[in-house]
Amino acid sequence: MNQTIEIASICEFMNRHLADVFETMLSIKAVAAPNTGMPPSEERVTGSVAFAGEHICGAVYLHFGKPFAGHVAATMLGLAVEELGEAEVNDVVGEVTNMLTGGLKSWLCDSGAECAVSTPSIIRGSSFVIEPVPDVLREWLVFDCDHTRIVVEIHVKVG
Amino acid sequence: MATKILSVDDSRTIRLIVGKAFRPYNVTLVEAANGEEGLVVAAREKPELIILDVTMPVMDGVTMLAKLKEDPELKAIPVIMLTAESGRENVLQIARLGVRDYLVKPFKEDQLIEKAMRCVTLEKRPVPTPV
Repeated sequence: MNQTIEIASICEFMNRHLADVFETMLSIKAVAAPNTGMPPSEERVTGSVAFAGEHICGAVYLHFGKPFAGHVAATMLGLAVEELGEAEVNDVVGEVTNMLTGGLKSWLCDSGAECAVSTPSIIRGSSFVIEPVPDVLREWLVFDCDHTRIVVEIHVKVG
Repeated sequence: MATKILSVDDSRTIRLIVGKAFRPYNVTLVEAANGEEGLVVAAREKPELIILDVTMPVMDGVTMLAKLKEDPELKAIPVIMLTAESGRENVLQIARLGVRDYLVKPFKEDQLIEKAMRCVTLEKRPVPTPV
């Protein structure tokens, strides 16, 4: 590995990359906001993609409130929210999470930390917390998008 | 006559976005969810262009492309590859495969149309006249 990857650098990259993904795919401006953690009991649609390599492993979780997940899916597919079922919304949230993590994978590989990514999965519910196992660092990145807050949760284990 | 384009992607979302991008054009879009299905559909439909995802279950885009290039009837079909990974190694690998072009996700629909137009002729669908 060329250098030690620090979670702060990963967060810095993800701040830029999320804004890029939202601008390109959705024409939505995502602005980094103060880290206030997860909303306590909002019903959420969360996409997750794991990454793993010899020197680094972890996961990216993208948390949307349920109404915003529908809005994102409708915008991306050019359909009305009413036309969408749960499956379509899940598929879009999974794909956006996949694009986010795919970009992270490229950045990690270019930084000397080769890794592979998993296929996306979806968690739906409210009041759930994803607990990292010991030795795994966790960071939350909060963004304001169209007056709605979205959260990217990153779990990383280096070395 | 409509231009026939094959979209091969395991993500229904991406296939829908590809469909949305080509909606204003006189295009018949056929779809497949992985490389294995993609080869079957390509042999049956003989598309003029293939939009091919790299990472897919069952058979990935790289393997499908290699098999296309081995088939005398399909090897001339231009292929635009879609990838979620923009890393140097990944881009080099794609370039070595002999694809016509590639597009990194996230992408704008205009970018896809622009790249497709370099491979095939796309005609705008006639706007229906109000009765």
